[in-house]
Amino acid sequence: MGEMVHVPGGTFQQGSPPWLLDLLEASDQPLPRIWFADETPQHTRVLEPYRIDRHPVTVAEFAEFAERTGHVTDAEERGFGLVYTERGWRELDGVSWRAPGGPGTSSKGMGDHPVVHVSWLDCVSYAEWAGKRLPTESEWEFAARGGPEFRIWPWGDTWDVRNANTAEFHAGALNALGGWKAWWEATCAEDGPIPRTTPVGAFSKGGDSPFGCADMGGNVYEWTSTLSHLYDDATECDPSVQAAMGRYRVIRGGSWMNFRHQTRCSERMHGDPTGWSSFAHGFRCAKDA
Amino acid sequence: MIRILIPSVWSPDGRTAFEGAEGPLPDVVRRFADDHPWIAGRLFGPDGAPLLHVNLVVDDELVPRRSRDAAVVGAGSTVTILAPMAGG
Repeated sequence: MGEMVHVPGGTFQQGSPPWLLDLLEASDQPLPRIWFADETPQHTRVLEPYRIDRHPVTVAEFAEFAERTGHVTDAEERGFGLVYTERGWRELDGVSWRAPGGPGTSSKGMGDHPVVHVSWLDCVSYAEWAGKRLPTESEWEFAARGGPEFRIWPWGDTWDVRNANTAEFHAGALNALGGWKAWWEATCAEDGPIPRTTPVGAFSKGGDSPFGCADMGGNVYEWTSTLSHLYDDATECDPSVQAAMGRYRVIRGGSWMNFRHQTRCSERMHGDPTGWSSFAHGFRCAKDA
Repeated sequence: MIRILIPSVWSPDGRTAFEGAEGPLPDVVRRFADDHPWIAGRLFGPDGAPLLHVNLVVDDELVPRRSRDAAVVGAGSTVTILAPMAGG
């Protein structure tokens, strides 16, 4: 279960250098500079050797966990989960990892896809059952970069749409929210709001990190164990990001819903860990070496 | 008066800070959406019911879903509207 790769540990500068935010600001993407400020400043992190899953946890792996333990996810217990509709995020009755698009949909036949609709607590439960744990965000970023060298995406600094499951993989080049919305509305009209995940490892080896970790850019957002915090308390960032600090858990990697710049190695998002889950959120596990 | 903070990507011009009138939290949010219709779909469903996955923080205290109806925002307070996923 869950092939793991050995990561030798080391010292690295976590986060994004100033030139990267300059690049983002100048590039053809629609998000403001302040949106990425929580990635700065770079700061030194020292990691002991560890192991990390080569792939996100799959539907088949999570199904085995649920079958053996009787685990009921937060979405199953609440009776609803979040999907992104033409009107934005909405709580949809009957959504769960078993029915990722709601009633009438099924994850059967998607055993090799990453599991979705798992809350932070669901992921922690799975990891404990598997004898593992969630990675810290430092471990996640180091594994995605393949060591101390900075790189924008797991495979390098040049974007290649063939290397990751992002919105651009499905819709073609996107550089504005309007284009993204048009793609998503058309997709929902055709199939409904079902997740556009792909089998884990479908973008290997081109999309792999130097350590051989797959799907670290796109496919599913990945929960980490790290409590959200600013790298420097003096960093001026978006007020909603500021409010997430100390409350949310760090999410890494972006997903099939995202633009290329949201699937970078140093990109950070922050998720409500109190039971919230969505059709784009999954996880991978780590373990001390 | 109170201060209302929202994610920069939610407003058409990237503005994050707004003013509003104090009062019961549900009324504060409803008035804010009435005054700024472009945000209504972020806060309320098609049936007009509040979207409960959107978190509300009043003066650095997250107001639980079950407590929102009874919460009151006093003059000088700050309400931060926080999506379940922030940043990006």
